[in-house]
Amino acid sequence: MVRARRILMVLMLLVATAALQLPASAAGPETTGTPEQLVATYRSLADTILGAKKTEWNLVSSILAATYRHAEVTLAQARGQIQGKKDAKADLEKLATLVSQLGNEGDASVAAVRKKLVEGGHHHHAAEEQQGIYDEGYVIVTRAAKKVFLDAAGQIGKSAQAPNLAALDAEWLKVQKQYAALMK
Amino acid sequence: MRPGDSRLAWMAGLTLFALWAASCGGKAKEAPGATAPSLPPSSRVEPFQFIDVAREAGLTRILLAGRPEKDHLLDSAGAGVAWLDFDRDGFLDVYLVNGWKLSGDRIAEKGRNALYRNRGDGTFEDVTESSRTGGEGRWGSGVTVADYDNDGYPDIFLTNFGPNVLYRNRGDGTFENVAARVGVESPGWNTGAAFFDADGDGDLDLYVAAYIDCTLEEVLKAERTLDWKGVDKVALGPFGLVGAADHFFLSDGHGRFREAAAEAGLEDRALAYGFGVRAADFDSDGDADLYVANDSDPNYLYRNEGKGKFREVGLWSGAALSANAAAQAGMGIAVGDAQGDGFLDIFVTNFAEDYSTLYLGDGKGFFQDSSEETGVAEPTFKPLSWGTSFADLDCDGDEDLVVANGHIYPQVDRHPEFDTTYAQKSLLLENTGKGKFIDATGRAGPGFAVARVSRGLAAGDYDNDGDLDLLISNLDAPPTLLRNDTPRRGTCFTVSLEIPPGHGTAIGAVVTLEAGGRKLVRDLSSSGSYLSVPDPRLHFGLGESKKVDRLEVRWPDGARQVLTNVAAEGLLTVRKEP
Repeated sequence: MVRARRILMVLMLLVATAALQLPASAAGPETTGTPEQLVATYRSLADTILGAKKTEWNLVSSILAATYRHAEVTLAQARGQIQGKKDAKADLEKLATLVSQLGNEGDASVAAVRKKLVEGGHHHHAAEEQQGIYDEGYVIVTRAAKKVFLDAAGQIGKSAQAPNLAALDAEWLKVQKQYAALMK
Repeated sequence: MRPGDSRLAWMAGLTLFALWAASCGGKAKEAPGATAPSLPPSSRVEPFQFIDVAREAGLTRILLAGRPEKDHLLDSAGAGVAWLDFDRDGFLDVYLVNGWKLSGDRIAEKGRNALYRNRGDGTFEDVTESSRTGGEGRWGSGVTVADYDNDGYPDIFLTNFGPNVLYRNRGDGTFENVAARVGVESPGWNTGAAFFDADGDGDLDLYVAAYIDCTLEEVLKAERTLDWKGVDKVALGPFGLVGAADHFFLSDGHGRFREAAAEAGLEDRALAYGFGVRAADFDSDGDADLYVANDSDPNYLYRNEGKGKFREVGLWSGAALSANAAAQAGMGIAVGDAQGDGFLDIFVTNFAEDYSTLYLGDGKGFFQDSSEETGVAEPTFKPLSWGTSFADLDCDGDEDLVVANGHIYPQVDRHPEFDTTYAQKSLLLENTGKGKFIDATGRAGPGFAVARVSRGLAAGDYDNDGDLDLLISNLDAPPTLLRNDTPRRGTCFTVSLEIPPGHGTAIGAVVTLEAGGRKLVRDLSSSGSYLSVPDPRLHFGLGESKKVDRLEVRWPDGARQVLTNVAAEGLLTVRKEP
């Protein structure tokens, strides 16, 4: 929060400085247009704002990718345990957690960051949130995709009580397809 | 049933049962040739009868709630209520949590909480002053009750907007605030709380939910800036306001606590807007799990992994979101057995124009939003819901649901075109016998016919007539006490669990009862609903059965005690075997 405020203050300072440095003629009676220097500063600010949105998408994408990779490794461990007729409960529950984090666009800490952005009035998909396509503050995962991930996570979690390789693979296939659809 | 109708018979029954239970000594005995009477068919056309007797009973404390226009969410969040037997005379007393009255940006009045002693004749005496339980001048929020110091007397923990209060019951009719001394003050806007034995060491630990991180100055200067349906400005939040972290206080076994949320795995990492808290053994593994209703965030289900370590499993256990994967505005929590299958289910109340959610449990820690199929979605969709309880109100053998309602925006009354009101009627959802609920509010008597701006709700048998009455807090008004005068449709049976002082806690015990071919389960909790506390005794409706075939108590330490062929009328006190 403090850092964001600092950045904002620096930007405001730049704008103010640009305005102060304008030659008197820039605001004179010969021209009615907005001073070019202010426009240029605003253009550069727009690039920063739009760039930040893209950066946000990339960051959330990285969170999902890291979670997915972690889930793949955990899946392999769980499969190995089941095939070796060993206790797979811990791996399956871990996998369920990771898949639910795909649906949640990260864990609870990420949810807190997302909420902070919403609190500040930032919505990545404001219009689509109104239509119920995205949950508030979500960047990549749609409500429909979230449901697919959470349903699969629930089934994987339940299967920890009676592990079954075919059922696990079936659930993972749903996760795989949904993830691919989101990230294409 | 009116109070005092059958006092002598009741007391005699109580004594006989206590003696009888003691003679059984927990040994399992099957009566030869015992028959299993059938339960009555669905009683959907039978009326309920509830009458508000708060005024004549003496419960007159006005419960203050900020400004009339509710400029900040604190103005409209309301507070909880509690049933407790602080003087151990066998009659339920009442504790009411109070807020403050604001006028613009100044404090007009700091409300006092109220402790009402049950005189035993259906009326209450205000003993707030003499008991020293007025709330220390703080803006009150929630309450949980338990004997945290194991001296045999119930203590009162209060959450506040400000430092919390822990009233230690001195056993002589007076209390002392020991919150600072024992380490549980944690200033902030704290809401729901629950005493429970998190680490299985026999003493009670404490979880405290927190809502929004804000200062009194922000509350006083709040302006209504949130657009409501394009026609009015209402209080902002919770989105737009910063969430506050919940707390977990681990007991050292000697009456002191320390913050241990992170080490226990109970860290509120989402900074969710927490309201209701309920501990229960949802996965039937013998230890207490924890459920937290979050407003506009996924609800938490913390699974107890043993030895005081928890894991948040809400999202994949099915208990965090609605069926369509949406976070709802969780307020209050009821835990009970909706379907009579022996497994605990969770009912969570939510905001207006969204249904309250019934999560059916499988006894293994997994849940499914079954609100549509069970019939609770439709009647709960319009109102804004808060306090709630499962309760077999007609003793017919299944648990009904009650819900206290009331909007948070008084401004809605200016816009009748939206078909909602600030004051709203409470709901009575009758269980038809197989886990399906129908709206019985219209035939629940005059007590359910009045619209109020309600918040906390707790079920308890204050008149000791065997059926459950309802205590409800209302904003800027006295509470409601709905006396249950419903004609009996079965046997009402109450179980009281006792552990000798110094020998652990009964909080978290589970009673499973078999009668008439039906299995009923109840657990003993220190809190629930919306910031409230239920009757510390467990109530069962047995339908036509006059006896309990088998009653098993699973104590929090894992010990099991079984009674068989118990004549079922009145109150049975089960004392833990040494």
